[in-house]
Amino acid sequence: MRKLLIVVVVLMTLAIFAQTKLTIWCSEKQVDILQRLAEEFKAKYGVTVEVQYVNFSDIKPKFLTAAPEGQGADIIVGAHDWVGELVANGLLEPIPNFADLTQFFSSGLNAFSYGGKLYGLPYALEAIALIYNKDYVPEPPKTVEDMIKIAKEIDAEFAGEVRGLIFPATTFYYVVPFIFGYGGYVFKDTPSGLDVTDIGLANEGAIKAAKLLKRLVDEKVVDPADNYQIMDSMFKEGKAGMIINGPWAIKDYRDAGIDYGVALIPEPEPGLVARPFVGVQGFMVNAKSTNKLLAIEFLTNFIAKRDTMYRLYLADPRLPARKDVLELVKDNPDVVAFTLSAGNGIPMPNVPQMGFVWGAMDDALNLIVNGKATPEEAMKNAVERIKAQIQ
Amino acid sequence: MIKKLLSFSFIGLLNVFFFWIAFFLFNNAYYALGALFLILVFLIDFFIFNPKGYPYRYVAPALVLLTVLVIYPIYFTVKTAFTNYGTGHYMPKEEAIERLLYDPVYTYEVGNEAVEYKLFIAYDGLIPMYDDFLILFKIEGTLFIAEKPIPIKKKGKDVLLSEAQLIPIESSTYQRVPQSEDLTEIRMITSGEKTYRAFYSPQEEFLRLNAPLFKSRIAQFYLQKSEFVHPNGNRYALRIDRTGEWSFARIERLYRLDLMQTLENDKPRTKLIVVNNKTNRPLIEREGSFYDVNEKNEEVYLIGYIDFVGWKNFLRILRDPRITGPFFKIFVWTFLWALLSVVLSLAVGLPFALVLNDPKLRGRNIYRTLLIIPWAIPVFISALIWRNGLFNESYGVINKFLLPALGLPIIRWMNDPFWARVAVLLVNVWLTYPYMMTISLGALQGIPYELYEAAMIDGAGKFRRFTSITFPLLMAVIAPLLVSSFAFSFNNFTIIYLITAGGPPIPGSTTPTGYTDILISYVYKLAFQAGTGQDFGLAAAISILIFFLVGGISYVNFRFSGVFEEVGK
Repeated sequence: MRKLLIVVVVLMTLAIFAQTKLTIWCSEKQVDILQRLAEEFKAKYGVTVEVQYVNFSDIKPKFLTAAPEGQGADIIVGAHDWVGELVANGLLEPIPNFADLTQFFSSGLNAFSYGGKLYGLPYALEAIALIYNKDYVPEPPKTVEDMIKIAKEIDAEFAGEVRGLIFPATTFYYVVPFIFGYGGYVFKDTPSGLDVTDIGLANEGAIKAAKLLKRLVDEKVVDPADNYQIMDSMFKEGKAGMIINGPWAIKDYRDAGIDYGVALIPEPEPGLVARPFVGVQGFMVNAKSTNKLLAIEFLTNFIAKRDTMYRLYLADPRLPARKDVLELVKDNPDVVAFTLSAGNGIPMPNVPQMGFVWGAMDDALNLIVNGKATPEEAMKNAVERIKAQIQ
Repeated sequence: MIKKLLSFSFIGLLNVFFFWIAFFLFNNAYYALGALFLILVFLIDFFIFNPKGYPYRYVAPALVLLTVLVIYPIYFTVKTAFTNYGTGHYMPKEEAIERLLYDPVYTYEVGNEAVEYKLFIAYDGLIPMYDDFLILFKIEGTLFIAEKPIPIKKKGKDVLLSEAQLIPIESSTYQRVPQSEDLTEIRMITSGEKTYRAFYSPQEEFLRLNAPLFKSRIAQFYLQKSEFVHPNGNRYALRIDRTGEWSFARIERLYRLDLMQTLENDKPRTKLIVVNNKTNRPLIEREGSFYDVNEKNEEVYLIGYIDFVGWKNFLRILRDPRITGPFFKIFVWTFLWALLSVVLSLAVGLPFALVLNDPKLRGRNIYRTLLIIPWAIPVFISALIWRNGLFNESYGVINKFLLPALGLPIIRWMNDPFWARVAVLLVNVWLTYPYMMTISLGALQGIPYELYEAAMIDGAGKFRRFTSITFPLLMAVIAPLLVSSFAFSFNNFTIIYLITAGGPPIPGSTTPTGYTDILISYVYKLAFQAGTGQDFGLAAAISILIFFLVGGISYVNFRFSGVFEEVGK
């Protein structure tokens, strides 16, 4: 009888505990570290934090389905360009001021701000840069001309076994540094926010960049069939001289034993700086969660602390969003190189209209590199398509 | 007797289960679905206990599944087609208004009165009773006591707003120990026999140790959506302040409900509106969204809701040049794709079936097993192998080894419109010929051998026997299956999406259209990918159109192949 009583009591306590449980959806790289942090949080607050691994590309769609029904995670870890859409659906809770706020880079905070409110706690910034294999490329190229020269030399020397330059030429994200470098832009940045009616993807600069891309393909430096998987695995196998990729990939290359270096993306023309998109990763709070206050507490009084941010960096080495954490990791040459690249970069627009741009531009680049349309036609048509969809 | 008892208890359990589901659904505000379940349970009981309903007994389970899996989704799709459900319109209007009226986000802090507080809780022996507490406030020098807030506005099980009155401690039944005006000195509050001991205060170092417990056990449950009302009407609520501290502040709600007199068709009407308390201006309500006007006279998007939009989604399909433009092109390809998928896979499957049906063939089972393998492998895996392993333009087996070995130029599988279409068809034929083979094999075995004997006596050759006996009799059996296979291919999103994702893009189109896009993948791109997120309303409208399209084509097909008559005999 007493045993039964104990069981009942235990079950009841569990039931009470089960009422406050914070759920986090995050992608592969953060699971381990967040699980450890969750243990510490539980020790202090007596609140279980359940860390669930969701594929990065599935987090947003899953959240969009579950959250309106009051089912989604209390906290999601994701990219800042989700903010526009999630806020429009009323699914994100603004994060109030907190003590350590001033320690965060304003670029990260701005990226997560929408309509004047902060909707996410940034933890990592990322921008792509040139990654080169020192076995083939002793000194990174400064300009695109140099890059073409080096790539051709490698291609000639290894007769196709090792490729000089690989990057996904039909993916807008990887072509952006050149488009922006020549003076193109997605939406005009005005003092009152982005003007989605002013699209600069068919201006003189953008077309110059498209022509450069065409030239790279015509001179067989870039293969139109390349995609991210090919680039990533070829570099990992030591079969690529230069690639354009982000800080998320570095750990794999180091583990694969590649003697790599990170440098700025070469200048499209001497004097013009290549400008990649800057993406920010961060934590967001579900507006329909019943644990909003605790979730905010977890983020602002726990995750946002310097030590936690440093541990997050160690687990997932991207550029820290906290100034004093960046100071701690400054002796890492990769971090410095990516930081410099991000310093030249432009934040990826977080307005929902950005959704139209990706597909339209990928299609345009596809037509250009496959010779189905001239750079002018393809870019002008893409802008028309984006405008037609925004209306 | 036992059998009867068992069946009765089973029915009883079923009833309980259904009532429980209905209750659950009502509790979560799914009234339509809940009512449906109640009707179902009533019907089931009626069929079982009424002798006249005897045959329906066996139909009832099917009826339940039909309702839950077919009828309700259809009802939901049709309902959605007439709404703007999609990005920016994710919640019902009531919920949007409830949020504006009750969500703590839509409040603002006023004044900067000094509000100090200290929380006291009751103990059972040494165990703190987190659900029995008092909060002592010091507002502008006066001490007030408040009990645990009581929910005053609920929705289902969710509390929208709780309230508690702030009572001057002198006029309450509570005694403070010691009698001091300084919060830090008060250690206990008593009321009759009951004592409440100090538990948390942000000002006291020692009590601050309890902050995590205060936040996770008390604030989390009782203070998140609570407001404390001062005798003079001012409201106080727990907020996170600029330093990250959890403190109480005087708040004011940003929005309130109001009535407005309007003239509509020259008739006065009273309308419910939401008004901004700060500016006293009503919110602008347009196309299923609320907008507020800020100090600079700019419209600010607040919140959107699911609104009834009538035929708008259907009209958009007919009138929007972005949708109608490539529609015809895509429709023709979709039709071709479905037709060729069926014809080609039958053309591959039928000969195999004929060969396997030959009793002279040895080891038929082995061949049959091997030939069915493509069908047995999950589509996702085989589609990805085809795309990455075979069709990849630089590293795929076909381009890297096969074509060069034959001395042919390489084919740009993913970027040449013609070859991309060939590629998707090739994969689909590979995946569906085993099905065609299996159904043909079954049908072939049903053809009586005497017919062939008679034909042979009449001097018919092998070919003549096939065209005059085998094929017509085979078609009579498998034609309905071919029609359904056609309908399936018509909507075979998976293959298209996995192999080409609709590409290569059609130059000059203003919508995300590719040469291999079929209607359903085009709809997917329009409704879920291209836009500012999702547009369920439009997607539902197009699905309904596709339903009628496929239905119409299938009907014509059935009539054409004379299947109805055949089956009716």
